[in-house]
Amino acid sequence: MTVESLNRQRVLHLLDAFARGDIEAALACCTDDVDFLTHAPIDVLPHLGPRHGKQELRELWRTVQTRYSETRHEVPQLVAEGNTVAAYLRVFFRKRSNDRVVQFDMAVFYTFRGGQVAQIREIIDSYDLVQQVLEREIGPLIAGVRVDEG
Amino acid sequence: MTEHSLWRFSRALHRAINDRHFEDIEALIDEDVEWALYGPIDMFPFLGARQGKDAVLDVIRQLADNFQVRRFDRESIMLGVDSAASMLRYSLTALDSNKPISLRVAQFAQFKAGKLTSMRVLIDTFDLVEQALGRAIHLPKMTGVG
Repeated sequence: MTVESLNRQRVLHLLDAFARGDIEAALACCTDDVDFLTHAPIDVLPHLGPRHGKQELRELWRTVQTRYSETRHEVPQLVAEGNTVAAYLRVFFRKRSNDRVVQFDMAVFYTFRGGQVAQIREIIDSYDLVQQVLEREIGPLIAGVRVDEG
Repeated sequence: MTEHSLWRFSRALHRAINDRHFEDIEALIDEDVEWALYGPIDMFPFLGARQGKDAVLDVIRQLADNFQVRRFDRESIMLGVDSAASMLRYSLTALDSNKPISLRVAQFAQFKAGKLTSMRVLIDTFDLVEQALGRAIHLPKMTGVG
C-alpha cells in the first residue's frame, strides 16, 4: 500500500472518529504538537482560533460537541500526495439549541509526520457559515443595521 | 514525463484574467464542466455554481473584468492522477476601486483527457467581504453557539 493510500485511510478514520463523537480516537490520529488553523473570522467565532497541541485541539472539538448533537460529513474529493492530504468536505452539524442543521463545505489540508496528522489547515465559506450560525442574513448589517436590533 | 493538467490550466487561467487571452483556457475546459466558487453571489455575481463550458468561460471573463492578479503563492499542493488540490495565497487588485485584495483560496480540480471537468473553490468569504467593503463587519461574538 502506498503512503498516499495509507494517509487517505488515516484521514477518513479521523473524520469517522470525530463524527461518532470519539474525540480521543480522533486525537490519537494526531501528533502531540498538532497545529490547527481555520481561516475564519475568529472575532465572531472565537473558538475557531489557532490551536497548538492535542489539549487545545481537544478543547476546540469538545466545544463543537457541546454545541452540536450530531455531526456527519461527505467527502466528494480527497487528493493525496506524499505526506499531505487535501479533503473537500460537505459537513452537517445539528444544533443542540434548536435542532437546526448547519451545512457547509470546507477544504481541509492535512500534513502527516510519522503516520500522524501534524498540521491541519481549513478554509470555509465563512460568510455563509456565520449567517447559518447566526440564523440571520449579514447583508442588512452592511447597510448599517446592527444585528442585535433585529 | 508529461506535465500535469493543473499547470497548463493554471497558466491559461492567469493569462485569461490578466491579459484577457481566453483562447488557451477555452481549449482546456470540458463541455460538461462543473464549477463552483462558493460565496455571497448577491455581492459578487461571478461567484456561485455553473455548469457547462460557456457558463464557466463567462465567469472567467467576469473575473477578468473585475480583478488583476498581482501575485499568487501556492502554500500547499497535491497532485493526483487526474486531480489536484491546492491552497493558494492570492494578491489581487479590484479594478473598479484599485483596492488591493488578499485572499487565501482552496482549489479542488478534476481533469479528464487534459480538460477540466470539475472545479470547486473555497474562500474565506467573510474576509473577502470585509476587504471589498474596506471595513470590518461588526457582529456579536458567538461564544454560545457556532
